[in-house]
Amino acid sequence: MSEHFEENESDFSPRRVDWSLWRRIVGHLRPYPWPVTTMIVCGLILAAVEVLLPLVTAWIIDEAIGPGRASRIGMLGGIYAVMLLIFSLLVWRFITAAGTLATRVAFDLRGTCFARLQSLPFGYFDVRSTGWLVARVTSDVTKVTGLLPWFLLDIGWGAAMLVGIFVAMMLVDLQLGLAVSVIVPPMAIATWWFKRRMLESSRRIRKSNSRITASYTETIAGVRTTRMLAREEASAAEFGEISSEMRLWTIRNAVQSATYLPIVMSLGSIGVGIALWAGGIQFQNQTGLSLGMLIAFMQYAVLFSQPIQELAQRFVDLQSAQAAAERVQELIEETPTIRDSPDVAARISAETAAPTPGLAPDGGGKTIHTVTFESVGHAYVAEERVLDDVSFELSRGTSIALVGATGSGKTTIAGLLARWYEPSEGRILVDGVDYRQRGLDWWQSQFGVVQQVPHLFSGTIRDNVRYGRLDADDEAILGALRRVRAAEFVIQLEGGLDFEVGEGGCHLSQGQRQLISLARAFLADPQIFIMDEATSSVDAETEATIQTAVDEILRDRIAVVIAHRLSTIRRADLILVLDQGKVIERGSHGELMAAKGRYRTLYLDQFVNEEEARLLG
Amino acid sequence: MTNRPAKLAGLWEMMRADRWRFGYALAFLVVAACLLYLVPLIPQAVIDGVLGDQPERVTDTSRWIIDLMGGREHVAERLWIPLIWITIIAGLAGIATYGRQRWSAIASQNTGKRVRDRLQNHVQRIEMNRFDELDSGDLLQRCTSDVDTTQNFLSMQAVEIGRAVVMFLVPLPIMFATDWRMSIAAIWLIPGILWFSLHYFGRVRSVFREKDEAEGRLTSGVTENLVGIRVVRAFNRQDFEIDRFRGFNDEHRALDDRLYRIFARFWGASDLLCFMQQASVILVGAWLLATDRILVGEFYFFFAAVGMFLWPVRMMGRILSELGKATVAVERLEEILALPIEQDPPDAEISIPTDGRLEIRDLVFSHAEDAPVLRGINLDIAAGETIAIVGPSGGGKSTLVNLLLRFYDRDGGSIRFGGVDIESMPRHALRTRIAAVLQQPFLFSRTIRENIQLAAPTADQAMVETATIEACIHDSIERFDAGYDTKVGERGVTLSGGQRQRVAIAQALLQDPDVLILDDALSAVDTGTEQSILEAIHDRRGRHTTLIIAHRLSTLKEADRIIVLAEGVIAQQGTHQSLRDAPGLYRRLWEIQAAVENDGDDPSKADSGGAP
Repeated sequence: MSEHFEENESDFSPRRVDWSLWRRIVGHLRPYPWPVTTMIVCGLILAAVEVLLPLVTAWIIDEAIGPGRASRIGMLGGIYAVMLLIFSLLVWRFITAAGTLATRVAFDLRGTCFARLQSLPFGYFDVRSTGWLVARVTSDVTKVTGLLPWFLLDIGWGAAMLVGIFVAMMLVDLQLGLAVSVIVPPMAIATWWFKRRMLESSRRIRKSNSRITASYTETIAGVRTTRMLAREEASAAEFGEISSEMRLWTIRNAVQSATYLPIVMSLGSIGVGIALWAGGIQFQNQTGLSLGMLIAFMQYAVLFSQPIQELAQRFVDLQSAQAAAERVQELIEETPTIRDSPDVAARISAETAAPTPGLAPDGGGKTIHTVTFESVGHAYVAEERVLDDVSFELSRGTSIALVGATGSGKTTIAGLLARWYEPSEGRILVDGVDYRQRGLDWWQSQFGVVQQVPHLFSGTIRDNVRYGRLDADDEAILGALRRVRAAEFVIQLEGGLDFEVGEGGCHLSQGQRQLISLARAFLADPQIFIMDEATSSVDAETEATIQTAVDEILRDRIAVVIAHRLSTIRRADLILVLDQGKVIERGSHGELMAAKGRYRTLYLDQFVNEEEARLLG
Repeated sequence: MTNRPAKLAGLWEMMRADRWRFGYALAFLVVAACLLYLVPLIPQAVIDGVLGDQPERVTDTSRWIIDLMGGREHVAERLWIPLIWITIIAGLAGIATYGRQRWSAIASQNTGKRVRDRLQNHVQRIEMNRFDELDSGDLLQRCTSDVDTTQNFLSMQAVEIGRAVVMFLVPLPIMFATDWRMSIAAIWLIPGILWFSLHYFGRVRSVFREKDEAEGRLTSGVTENLVGIRVVRAFNRQDFEIDRFRGFNDEHRALDDRLYRIFARFWGASDLLCFMQQASVILVGAWLLATDRILVGEFYFFFAAVGMFLWPVRMMGRILSELGKATVAVERLEEILALPIEQDPPDAEISIPTDGRLEIRDLVFSHAEDAPVLRGINLDIAAGETIAIVGPSGGGKSTLVNLLLRFYDRDGGSIRFGGVDIESMPRHALRTRIAAVLQQPFLFSRTIRENIQLAAPTADQAMVETATIEACIHDSIERFDAGYDTKVGERGVTLSGGQRQRVAIAQALLQDPDVLILDDALSAVDTGTEQSILEAIHDRRGRHTTLIIAHRLSTLKEADRIIVLAEGVIAQQGTHQSLRDAPGLYRRLWEIQAAVENDGDDPSKADSGGAP
């Protein structure tokens, strides 16, 4: 659970706006020129309307108090009403366009990220938690794409608004316009000064907030430990410090905004005062400035603060979404390290264009007769070798059992065989050819894998078994279930094949899940079978059923079993005993027992374990 | 919604201590509103009373303001005076606004902190049997997002509602005193605007829920794919998965887009309503100006005032529609706070045990309505004795530990610790004298040293190392790059199950308790290490009464006495020797071992001890 609350430290560290990153992010808008144009055009027209409204108001006032006495008020009222209508329609239009843009770009980015995840090698997943990766595809994408359209809009709108107000004022009265504009520089400076500080304090708030969540998680998960150590009071005190920190930064942030907003508002009011002063003098001197225009200038003074605040806010948003943008972009730009070499890819496309009957899609033989490990060594991280000089040969119809303690290299051998990783030393040969000379897709389609903890997807039993062969009909699915002795229990379930297995298969027992995953593997009809046996015990009857199913599946294939159960180990044609990445013993069960080496000790320990588990489990 | 007063009463309870601060915030809010409306009154006075040509028609307020500034002639000569006044009043309004925001932030943050602290302290003390029934994900959600919702309500929503109400009410008297027709023109759409937002956000909620659900499906779709990534690759189903994900993605996109469209209509329409309100002021104003019933300055004031209260009122509609969320959140918090916490007897009854002797009499326990787990246990354990407890799962071993630690309270019988009934001891005193290591020990996300020191905060490095050496974990710790300062649980360093168990054992040994309990605490440790740890504990013989719950024979060997617990009763007890000679579970365990030792070639071929 804790992984969902992992802190993303990079979210909390101060940073500058990285323009090259944002240019690449904005690049994702390229397929949508129409909504982008709509946004910008809407922004410009909105600004124009907002700049013009005070002028129209001024004309209405002057018309009402002028000598004509309201003869044209009807017309001006009409103009005003039309402008309002245009304004509302534009608001409606640009939010719709923003929605189109935000949701489509989010759709694209999610799809790209997801597809990328499907092609990245396992090494990528080994060092990143699932929760962390899920957040890339979900919340990070939302964060970045939610911001983009508003950024576009406000860049257009804000700039146009500032320029528009200036131009309108200058055109009406240069001197008065300049006088009112005096408030802009202090407004901009105050905005810049405060927004930077508020960005920092809000970052601290988010950091405290995530510490609070982590602390609650710990309080809940460690409740027994806390009580056993009788440290409820100490832990309450520690929590109090974290919540105080949260309070401190939240108040600090509120005080910053409590200082900033009144300053901006007061500057606006001072602008009104300046307009009244300078405009009043002009009015007194009868230079031609009307009362209506005087009021328009007073409105402009108030309007100035809007675009300044909005523009500043967008830059703040940009900075706070930057970490998310970086992570999304990084994922999109990640290239898979395991893929077909250029000449293999060329062969595949040639073969796809003109398939040779009887050959695999990569132009090689369809049937696998032998697989050979030739002095294979591997290190996931440089300098940390987990497998060293492992050689063996597998041929069709035989099985090999890998035995050894956790971390001895068993899983690595399986991963290398399936080409989830590629060996750092030595070669793996398929009928004498390095497997890197074969198509990755083809090779990985030849595998059936049953894991220690079988993973089922939420959905029906039918969905799960059919995962092995997507075009299988119910007949074939039932056939597979029957072959692994799972048909009986499936038929008894409510809905039979339509039974919903629940998330991760939670509506089924461990043994049932194992059988379903075996049926799935059976349906796929793989040439090579890898089985990672469960360490946890199931009851004797299920164990026997599973064993029969496994025997059924392994027939006529190449089988690699990461073995825990004695019954499986004894049946293997070849047993490799691994220790710290090296093969220390090899042979059949009989030979190895007779040798009285490490295998015998492991075997006897396991024997005692199984028996004790049977008595005490 | 029917018992809503009760829910808000709970909120008030949490706010009480800060009621004065909330009061200051409210006072500042009113002062700020009054000052803010004074600002447009000054231009009104100047335009009508100084610049205008009908000074006799100005309102009383304007005349008063002009007089304050020195009279019509005086101001006409010096138009900078209004600027100074505006600056001063705007400044004062700014200070009052600052005060309002500051006090409301302090008050609501104090309340928030109080709620958080109280909740944390409550959660860690909830009676264990009630705690075990809770869903930890739900509990965490209540502690985090429900608190945030409540906090948000206090610091933003309540303040915004207050601001909208005050901003709307304050100018009304001045407006009506000036001109009733303009006043009506300025407010007639307000109920409509309010109703529109309220109604709209009420209706949008169902779409929000749908979108949240779609987002949930999207998230679990990705999660499931990543959790099962090995299966996906094993069957080479990447393209299938990408197609499937496109389904979730598209569904989410469609709903998100729908929300945007709804919002587009809302903002478009409500902007139109608000502007209509302004337009009606302008048009009615123009008509009244043209017919000489109001002055330009008055017109300006109405126009400015509408601009000041229109947007807060529109926000209020939205906030009111979200009020339901806050009440639900408060209610969910109240539910947690209503759960009973562990209560100790009053101080008078506290008696302190003299040693680590345990006497268990007729102990009976069952979970709620279920069949009893313990059905009359009688057991005397001398101080310093080492007892091993063995038996099939569900036999009551862990329940016994839970009762000893008073995580659960017995239904019948008694447990006496050093001659004192444990129910008459404070839990704190009881638990500091017992150290229990569980099968999956919990370590806090701090350094290894800090974790071990939790048991004895004053222990120095030498004492910590003595404990870690006895628990056979010292060498492993030293091998970490940061040694004892390695942080547990951070990305990069994760301790294996066996390492965690050994750290927890070191912690327990450092605590030097009267009673030491190992509840299957060596299950992930290899046999050799297990023996060294057991020997170290054996060497401490006499220092603690030791209870070892074991799932393998090797763990039982060092015990003075072995108890076989099955189906809630003691089936057998005795020494290693006496149990080996009598038929039963212990002997069968022993026979497995014997089979391996005597007939080591392949015991599975032999009869494995006649297990049924």
